[in-house]
Amino acid sequence: MKKVLIVDDDVDVTTLVSKLVERSGYKAMVAKNGVEGMDKVREDKPDLIILDILMPKESGIRMYRELKTDDPLKDIPVIILSAIAKRSFFRSQKVLDEFAGQSVPEPEAYIEKPEEPEELIELMKKILG
Amino acid sequence: MTEMAKLLIIDDEEGIRKVLTVSLASDGYDVLAAARGEEGIEIFKKESPSIVLTDIKMPGMDGIEALKQIKTLNPDAEVIMITGHGDMDSAIEALKLDASDFLNKPIKAEALAVALKRAEERIAIRKKLKAYTDDLENMVRMATEEVKRRSDFQNKLITSSNDAIIATDEKGDIVIYNNGAARIFGYPRSEIIRKMNIDSLYPQAIASEFRTGLKRRGDVDLSEWREVAIVAKDGEVVPTRFSGFILYGEDEVMGSVGFFRDLREIKRLQQELIKSERLAATGQTVAGVAHYVKNILFGLKGGVYLVNLGLKENEADSLKTGWDMLERNMGRISDLVLDLLEYSRERKPEYEKCSPNAIANEVCGLMEASAKEYGIEIIRDFDPSMREVLLDPKGIHRCLLNLVSNAIDACLFDPSEEKKWVVRVKTIFENDGTVRFEVSDNGSGMDEEVEKKLFTSFFSTKEGRGTGLGLLNTQKIVQEHGGTIAVNSQPGKGSTFTIRLPYRNGPTQGATAKGGHQS
Repeated sequence: MKKVLIVDDDVDVTTLVSKLVERSGYKAMVAKNGVEGMDKVREDKPDLIILDILMPKESGIRMYRELKTDDPLKDIPVIILSAIAKRSFFRSQKVLDEFAGQSVPEPEAYIEKPEEPEELIELMKKILG
Repeated sequence: MTEMAKLLIIDDEEGIRKVLTVSLASDGYDVLAAARGEEGIEIFKKESPSIVLTDIKMPGMDGIEALKQIKTLNPDAEVIMITGHGDMDSAIEALKLDASDFLNKPIKAEALAVALKRAEERIAIRKKLKAYTDDLENMVRMATEEVKRRSDFQNKLITSSNDAIIATDEKGDIVIYNNGAARIFGYPRSEIIRKMNIDSLYPQAIASEFRTGLKRRGDVDLSEWREVAIVAKDGEVVPTRFSGFILYGEDEVMGSVGFFRDLREIKRLQQELIKSERLAATGQTVAGVAHYVKNILFGLKGGVYLVNLGLKENEADSLKTGWDMLERNMGRISDLVLDLLEYSRERKPEYEKCSPNAIANEVCGLMEASAKEYGIEIIRDFDPSMREVLLDPKGIHRCLLNLVSNAIDACLFDPSEEKKWVVRVKTIFENDGTVRFEVSDNGSGMDEEVEKKLFTSFFSTKEGRGTGLGLLNTQKIVQEHGGTIAVNSQPGKGSTFTIRLPYRNGPTQGATAKGGHQS
């Protein structure tokens, strides 16, 4: 069974998305912030990560860069699910790329909250097959 | 002598009259002559000569009588009496009537010249004296005017002052009470001047200081500005800034003066400022609230989706999860609405006799269960010397609940794995009329950025869990209570929030009774 890691500090989001993941026939795992998220990624090697941006401790932006610059982990597909506008996120990525002198690939998908459950299900199926 | 001096000769002997007239006219006098006393008086009345030569022995009105009448008409007239030899009685009589000089018959030219010279000198001296006197009177009048002008000026100065100026004599009775004083104290001048004194007008604390000062020199210093609440005629408690002085003369106490500045307008503006700052904060962060509401909406939407799913597929698990989500988010809406209402409402502290330790204990009890669930210990550190005082127990309860729940959150947000988390609630009964509450934790702490934003806007670090209104409400309640709130925090080490509240001692709640209440 393919594994989907949901990283979000909002219980409402993790509850709903977990339900959607399970209904689609995958195993759902939950992490509350970026630190916990990276631990789970290393431990369980999920097949897909659904990642929030605004979280306490370590934000989704930091976790995303950590993920995408880590050789064995960088190929795990990521869907970003955030209340932050898509445009703002991509702009921040560009700035960070220039600052760090490294180019980080774009996520597989970017969904602005509130998510449409059907859209999310379809996306997961498209990515995981 | 520019003008010729008039000289009157009264003598019944024609020879004498003629000789004197000729010789005196040649000396430069304007000479008038009369043969009889009555005639001499008539001429005197008409011509008012400055020197009169009169024979004593004359038929009809004699020289003594003439002298008497002339002196009545003009006491300054120089009257020289012409006497026969050895007429001592007449001479004494004439002296009593203020005759200037005597000439013995037969009149010798030298004696006449000397007598006239002396008369002239006396006239000159009198003239000078008169000029001096006139001058002096003038100067006194001018000085009086100047004094009056200065006193008017000072009176106007006192009258036109917006501040109250109240002066007393050395007995403490009020002698100066300006318009500014009438505006603050509410009594008209007529009810105050010499009718009221320090004790009946001033708050008791100031009055007794003035009394001490009036009694002894140098013991009392009231000069430093301080805030004093006075009670006006209609019972209104008026906040003022006060400064006073004991007035000293050369060596003794002359009286006292008090200056009062009305602070009502300033206090009103301060209130308004606090209100408008709060409105501005509200405006600034409507976006923040909107964001928070949006999050709740997502939660509701997700809940509805799951409930629909559960209904459609008759699946109890989705139904339950969805329903929980709906309930949780309804709770968040109700929290938000309550916080917003609390924040926008103007509230006066409701003073009641209460025990600060009991309130703190109640709050600890309320939070203990959920704290234990997360492995956080709540420690009660209450001052055993705490007394029952007048405070607003409901407001304090809310503040402490807020701070303790924040402290627990700070522990939850702390990434440390091996810390033993502790929330300490401390109470201290201070000697300066305040009660101090301290809520400290050893949780995540704050960096400077967060600490700065803490009280300025609807700022929350709790990402969707907090409205960002909790601390603002706490601060609002504390300020309405006339207290202060401060924070001390170190990232990774924890935070301490300190609330100081002035308590009241009075027997009842509400307005302070007349007396030395100083806010």
